[in-house]
Amino acid sequence: MELKQAMEAATADLDVRPGFVGDVMAGGRRRHTRKLLALTAAVALLAGVTTGVVLTRSSTSEPDTGDPRLTAATSGDLAGDEDFIARTLVAWKNARNESWMSGQDVTEVSGTPNVFWAANTVDGQAALVAQAVRVRNSNEPQTLVGLVAAGAVEGREVVHTRSRDQETGLYRLGAHSSTYVVLSLGQRVFWSVNPVRGPDNRLRRDWRQADDPDGVAVVTAQASERPVILRSTTAPAPDDFTRQPLQNRARTGFTFGQAFTPHPGLGWSGQRCTDEKRPALNPKSESAERDLQERGLLDYQIGDDSSANWAACAWTPDLRFVRVFESYGQLYGVLYDANGVFSAAVLGGPAVKGASLPVRLVLPDGQGTLVAEFGTLLGPQERPDVWLAPAGTTAVTVRRGDTPEVVPLG
Amino acid sequence: MQDFEDFVALRSQALLRTAYLLCGGDRGAAEDILQDVLMGMYGKWRRIRTSPEAYARTALANAAANRWRRRSRKPEAPLEQGAAPAQRGHEQQVVDADSVVRALAQLPTKMRAVLVLRFFEDLSEADTARTLGCGIGTVKSQTSRGLARMRELMGEQVLTWN
Repeated sequence: MELKQAMEAATADLDVRPGFVGDVMAGGRRRHTRKLLALTAAVALLAGVTTGVVLTRSSTSEPDTGDPRLTAATSGDLAGDEDFIARTLVAWKNARNESWMSGQDVTEVSGTPNVFWAANTVDGQAALVAQAVRVRNSNEPQTLVGLVAAGAVEGREVVHTRSRDQETGLYRLGAHSSTYVVLSLGQRVFWSVNPVRGPDNRLRRDWRQADDPDGVAVVTAQASERPVILRSTTAPAPDDFTRQPLQNRARTGFTFGQAFTPHPGLGWSGQRCTDEKRPALNPKSESAERDLQERGLLDYQIGDDSSANWAACAWTPDLRFVRVFESYGQLYGVLYDANGVFSAAVLGGPAVKGASLPVRLVLPDGQGTLVAEFGTLLGPQERPDVWLAPAGTTAVTVRRGDTPEVVPLG
Repeated sequence: MQDFEDFVALRSQALLRTAYLLCGGDRGAAEDILQDVLMGMYGKWRRIRTSPEAYARTALANAAANRWRRRSRKPEAPLEQGAAPAQRGHEQQVVDADSVVRALAQLPTKMRAVLVLRFFEDLSEADTARTLGCGIGTVKSQTSRGLARMRELMGEQVLTWN
């Protein structure tokens, strides 16, 4: 073994402790200040200055991110409630040692926390706190923002100084997480519930602007109402499903969409196509979901539950490509021309788990019926999982293991 | 002082490794002298004319030597001797790694510093001499004796160098 190699192996796992850089900077500043003070004192002594000189301690090295929330006066109807603010800070500080720090890449929490908003909500008292922190892979301090309610931190996120426009600024509280505290961040906050599908199959959402005195809006909506909240300078049109909705990233492992009513999804995963000879089409658009949203046919996709983790696709006899997927328990199909341009949309029925041959989507222009049941063999050629039944097919043989079942196509 | 903070953030890990070897495997001491050296560099940052890393290396070598002097020539605390594995394999690399640190700990401070700078930092004889403030002849002789001593200390393990 080479000496260098052995030395490298012996030191391979070594790294400085978290907060080391901050310690060096703070210690260096202190030491430097002490030297300057000592020098000043010596010069003053030599010069015979005996009065009028006051050596003051250097200010503590409070990290500053430039975020005004670190020093802003508390707003909200509980701004004068010193007891609540004190309890909020205790709860905030008590949560310092939880495992969230590694998830947010926070290495040091040394700044002074500041409650910049405190107010009553229908789900109790709540407060927003900001604090300067240090994070991994950055020399600059960043701002940690979080919500405290019911004596606990309900969510927090690190707002990076160089990407403040990426701040989510959405927090939830209450037994059913049905109260949303939204930072307006210089824009307006709009929210909508209960999308309605019209006779032309297009969806509509009525939008309301939330009051945001002090830059904080509080909205209450039940999960079953499918609330969508967004921050914008202009109100979305009722048929606009292309805006960027706010999703709760501020709480690790918890997403806004988890509160939606659980759909009876098929629970499949993966993508299945019937024609191996033709490559899967790469649509010109961003995604099939986006194509439907642009046409007002598909609702906002919020959270992991909004879209199932499967898709079936096939080439049609007239050389179009159809992609079928599930969203909120409903089946959707999108057809593309061979050049990847959107051609047509098909709305299927509900995706019912446990039903025999649960995916049956009749394609337009006599292109047949796309049927799917993952884990089976379908049709006379026993295609795995997915089969495009030709137009006029009245029944499909579904083979599960050794047992065939003939399922009529209605 | 952003450039100094960048330097600390970027180079601390590498410098800690050097300090660890210079302190003969005493991690706590390595962290202490590194922090001390970097804090000292804070006030001198604008006045450091050489490469900051070279400056830090020199300061680390001096700090490690001073630490040794303060300990009144007591030998470095050796790592606990583990039982040698029966077969060579992945574990043997770990043993080799530990062995080299144990062996370094038993060398005189200057000899250890010469070996660390020459073989870990890949410094030339001239740069090593400049870093340690000694002559090239001293570096050569310390290198030769140091390698011979390492071979003795590491027993049957083969030790080569480029």
